[in-house]
Amino acid sequence: MIKNKHVAIIGGGIAGMEAAAVLAKQGLKVTLIEKEAITGGKLNDWHHLFPDFFSPKTVIDNLIAKTNHSGVNVVYNTEISKIEKLNGRFELSDERDTKFYSDAVIIASGFRLFDATLKEEYGYGIFDNVITSVDFEKLMKTEGKLLTAQKTEPKRIAIIHCVGSRDAKTGNTYCSKVCCITGIKQAIEINKILPDSEIYCFYMDLRLYGLNFDSLYLHAQKQHKIQFIRGRLSEIAERFDKSLQLKTEDTLQGRPLRINVDTVILLIGMEPGASNNLFTKNNKVTIDENGFMKPINMHENRNSSTHDGIFLAGTVICPMAVNESIENARAAAFEVISYLEKNKL
Amino acid sequence: MYSEIIKNLKTDVRLTEALQACMNCGICTAVCPAAEFYEYDPRSIAVSVQSENREKIIDLLESDTIWYCGQCMSCKTRCPRNNCSGLIISVLRKLSQETGAFTKSRMGRQQYLILKTIGNNILSRGYCIHPTTVVPETHPEQGPVWKWIYENMHDVYAVVGANLDCDGPGTMRKINSIDLNELNNIFIVSGGMKFFDTINHFSKLKAIEMGMVDEYGEADMEKYTQYLLQE
Repeated sequence: MIKNKHVAIIGGGIAGMEAAAVLAKQGLKVTLIEKEAITGGKLNDWHHLFPDFFSPKTVIDNLIAKTNHSGVNVVYNTEISKIEKLNGRFELSDERDTKFYSDAVIIASGFRLFDATLKEEYGYGIFDNVITSVDFEKLMKTEGKLLTAQKTEPKRIAIIHCVGSRDAKTGNTYCSKVCCITGIKQAIEINKILPDSEIYCFYMDLRLYGLNFDSLYLHAQKQHKIQFIRGRLSEIAERFDKSLQLKTEDTLQGRPLRINVDTVILLIGMEPGASNNLFTKNNKVTIDENGFMKPINMHENRNSSTHDGIFLAGTVICPMAVNESIENARAAAFEVISYLEKNKL
Repeated sequence: MYSEIIKNLKTDVRLTEALQACMNCGICTAVCPAAEFYEYDPRSIAVSVQSENREKIIDLLESDTIWYCGQCMSCKTRCPRNNCSGLIISVLRKLSQETGAFTKSRMGRQQYLILKTIGNNILSRGYCIHPTTVVPETHPEQGPVWKWIYENMHDVYAVVGANLDCDGPGTMRKINSIDLNELNNIFIVSGGMKFFDTINHFSKLKAIEMGMVDEYGEADMEKYTQYLLQE
């Protein structure tokens, strides 16, 4: 019976929690190992989800309830750094040499946010009024308002797409895919709290892949008067009054554009998790050319890593939205069950 | 004149380096100092070259546009695809010079003036710019202070510790004939001299085309120079 089998899941974000709950509900013994003191991962910092402004708290609360009810053993404050196969079972250990043993492993350790200070010409960490999309979510969640560093209401706000994505200069040539729609969502939110402000989105291509994403774009233009300017930001300079001068090109007009704004929001992309490299040691797990975990087949099976018995779930594979991450984790759970059924002797 | 133009463009190694594939984002134009002052858009130039649009490329070769770039290469530092519009411009300039297309635009024709001043300075004195050639009458932009320095040149340069036009070591010293000969040989071997000849050749043709000829029907380059200075 596979019910006696043990599955260890690395990462207590939404993907790890979903996979854990599904497997535990099937009667398997599941240990969910989270590096922080709480589960829910980066979604804990998020205010609203695209495209319908749904509450991330509801998502997390439901996942916590599911993992609790199904009997998942959640271990907090533990960061796994080593996965090894010993005597037919997997041994997972952290830096303090705490060990966990399991018959299968799911890596659901997620992504890392692009460090916007690396794009120095955008002035994050240098100019007070340059913030990231993640800072904006935290601000909205904790304070519910957007003010400049001088505590005034910004009259002009610029949202910058593709920061740390599709940019050879940052080493990330792939598209993070969720930033475009995040920018549109945040622009609408700003317009709702600051109806007299002017909001500009500077984009290269708007990649609105999801159903209703494009209608949100239309809604942002029609109802919220968000201005979309096609041109990639070259650099930001701070003026004496702490406002910011942006240098870009309006490529559809074919003219260089200088514009002054009070606040800039950088839509930072998703990078491979910092621990991905560690997970490739002592086993046959591999990473792809971007540093994300490599599945055996991106079309038919994104959940199996290149090591039999080690599975992948969520944004450890590639940038994903919340719904995809959860669905992907559910699929990973199914792959784990199939694997254990096949190897039950 | 332009029969092999696309082929010549593509065989220049600098283009291989400068244009992987452009996604038209505009970051080069956004950072470009020249684009602030001129009707100049390095992004559209990169796209024209990428598209291999013969007509547009020939227009560029004959235009003022390609001469607006200051070759600061700021574009190189920003491009998310590691392209470099400034280097694409270098390639277009070379083609314009080699085909004589440069004589069709005002900015392009100034190649002749640059050759006459900087080119000749290098070969005859070993310096790109030499104070004795910055004549106040033809360089009014230098202002009255320069005019005074020019008139008291040897005294002023001596005061600041230079060794202007004299033998021995020091700033602005006279470059000896052995070194000048070597410099000339470098220009011959590297193709620099041939390049100078090409600029001279096409500039003379342009002078004749514009009716600037002497009594023997030869190009009157003094008249042409005066024309370029006024143009």
